[in-house]
Amino acid sequence: MEFDPSFALSTVPTILSAIGMTLLVAACSCLGAAVIGFCLEITRRSGGVQGLAVRFLIDFIRATPVLVWLYCLYFILPYYGIRLDALTVGIAGLSIYFSGYLAEVFKAGIDAIAEGQQEAAKALGLGRLDRIIFVIAPQMLRNIAAPMGNYFVSILKATPYLAVLAVPEMLGQAFDIASETYRYAEPLMVAGIIFLSLALGISQGIKWLERRLLAPMSR
Amino acid sequence: MSILDIWLGILEGFRVTAGITIYGLLFAIPFGLVFGVAQYLATGFVRFVVTSVIEFWRSSAVIILLFVFYYALPVIGVTLSAMTVGAMVLGLNIGGYASQAVRAGLQALDRGQKEAGQALGLSRPTILLRIELPQALVAMSPTFINHIIQLVKATSLVSLITLTDMTFRAKEISQIAYEPVPIYLSLLMAYFVACYPIALFGRWVERRVNPVREARNGI
Amino acid sequence: MHDTAHDLAVQITALQKWYGAFHVLKDISLSVSRGARIVICGPSGSGKSTLIRCLNGLENYQQGTVILGGTRLGDNARDTSLARRQTGMVFQNFNLFPHLTVLSNCTLALRRVGGMARGEAESLALHHLERVRIPEQAYKYPAQLSGGQQQRVAIARALCMNPRLMLFDEPTSALDPEMIKEVLEVMTGLAHDGMTMICVTHEMGFAREVADEVVFMDQGSIVEQAAPATFFSTPNHPRARSFLNTLLH
Ligand SMILES: Nc1ncnc2c1ncn2[C@@H]1O[C@H](COP(=O)(O)OP(=O)(O)O)[C@@H](O)[C@H]1O
Ligand SMILES: [Mg+2]
Repeated sequence: MEFDPSFALSTVPTILSAIGMTLLVAACSCLGAAVIGFCLEITRRSGGVQGLAVRFLIDFIRATPVLVWLYCLYFILPYYGIRLDALTVGIAGLSIYFSGYLAEVFKAGIDAIAEGQQEAAKALGLGRLDRIIFVIAPQMLRNIAAPMGNYFVSILKATPYLAVLAVPEMLGQAFDIASETYRYAEPLMVAGIIFLSLALGISQGIKWLERRLLAPMSR
Repeated sequence: MSILDIWLGILEGFRVTAGITIYGLLFAIPFGLVFGVAQYLATGFVRFVVTSVIEFWRSSAVIILLFVFYYALPVIGVTLSAMTVGAMVLGLNIGGYASQAVRAGLQALDRGQKEAGQALGLSRPTILLRIELPQALVAMSPTFINHIIQLVKATSLVSLITLTDMTFRAKEISQIAYEPVPIYLSLLMAYFVACYPIALFGRWVERRVNPVREARNGI
Repeated sequence: MHDTAHDLAVQITALQKWYGAFHVLKDISLSVSRGARIVICGPSGSGKSTLIRCLNGLENYQQGTVILGGTRLGDNARDTSLARRQTGMVFQNFNLFPHLTVLSNCTLALRRVGGMARGEAESLALHHLERVRIPEQAYKYPAQLSGGQQQRVAIARALCMNPRLMLFDEPTSALDPEMIKEVLEVMTGLAHDGMTMICVTHEMGFAREVADEVVFMDQGSIVEQAAPATFFSTPNHPRARSFLNTLLH
């Protein structure tokens, strides 16, 4: 069998038709991971027993593969009678896995706020809630914008893992073509090229935004 | 099936998991070093080529790369064992990340280091090998150890190209006995046991490399 | 001058503070009348910052009293917020909010604490930015300004809240020499406008010209307290003498 460029080209529309699913999975997982990660980080900061437990949980998540998390949810939940569709399980798995990383992003974002900021805000008479809303949170968001963008790309690149759960995202689509035509090389390469372009494009876009929006504020 | 049986069953896959990791490092380390240094030194078109190669390995979705090389290499007449394909793809992916750490480490050095070497009449290669690289490699070592953890976790992917690693074994066992809870939780634990010591070692190295500033509690 | 409590901006009596076992402020008493300009100096670690931070509730203390504008400050949220409304503080590292423009740095507290409308807050802020001679930078971010400009913005930001007392904690220590002058000029202008000021600084020229009184601290105590002319020409205490010598050489 030889590589057939025209066949490769013919697979593009079918594979691209799943780009919406890929982006949906990436966006939902990123949001889920951010919410879980933020809760983890806040709990870790609060100290005490639950702080230690969460510290360990974050380490645990970061020391285990995303594929295994997906299998765990996919095979264990039905055992307890919890039947979710593959898409939901996939998003949940990616959210849990990446929450361990985003917790670290939030930690770094809060730690990087200069020491005097709290004091300056207090000296002006701002209350605790105002200090969080107007002084700490905006600076944290600014600090995490770039790493968040990078993790969004990482999550995007992890969405093809959902193909193993038969979620119809782009890699799954490529495998469908492959199993119908018995030609693997072409659709897989097409999927690879699309993912690579998407990842590079979004990375560039994020860098551009960063320069545009954050440059005047950065020290 | 007892927990012990499950553990022993998963352990049978450890040889492949460890083998791919070490074999993968044989790709990752040389690639990371050579391309990291090349990106640091090169200018113009050469730099563009070097950067393109790095970005291909680093920015592609690794699961797709694995399938592409597994299915597409035979099409162009290259037949490699699944073991070699797995180690190469996972290794070069991690190598792409490592190259960025090498380059960043070199770029972060004080210009004065190079200038002092030049003032002493040392040749450029000598400056690179004896002055710049030793410092950069020390500075990047914690990052590199994190990449090793990523590699260990990524080896779970080779279960998808028929290699009998720990993940593959877990799936095999679960086909014999429908006990997903102990099987997949044991699998998570197995990766944790493999990765966590590396993470702790990485933290120890990190403390040696940059003595920590006491973490502040924001908010 | 009649020394009634009402004429005092601040009255500190027998203030004691410990950090764990470390006795950082030892029996400090100090009265500052309205309109007075006090310069506090002394070696690093002598407790100068800690002392002035006790005046606006950035630090708490274990014993003694602080009476600010006739009200005794307790260790509770109401008194702390009262103290912070009456005082403005300028820090060594400026501590401007990097994510806000110069103008927003100045209006934030006016709007959130003072409850002022945006337009009113902005025109007040611009007035104070003119006072520190920097109105043209209003729409820039702190990172786009020089250190001296940032510190002047910080002064304007504090002035916006119309404080009765300004606290300066080594406002020029983080600045290059050419910028020190512009900040000191602004501070001198404030003094001439009658602002009550407590300045921790080692700028002896400023102290000579502006201060009513120099307070010398060492190891948590006030060791000497005198008019600047007296303090600089004939310091009493040997530790003050050796401190002045190190400043000169
Ligand atoms: N949060 C703190 N915990 C313990 N010791 C402190 C703390 N802050 C300051 N100190 C100590 O208190 C002393 C006085 O500090 P400070 O008031 O900052 O001195 P100054 O401003 O005169 O240089 C120093 O020895 C310093 O190390
Ligand atoms: Mg100080």
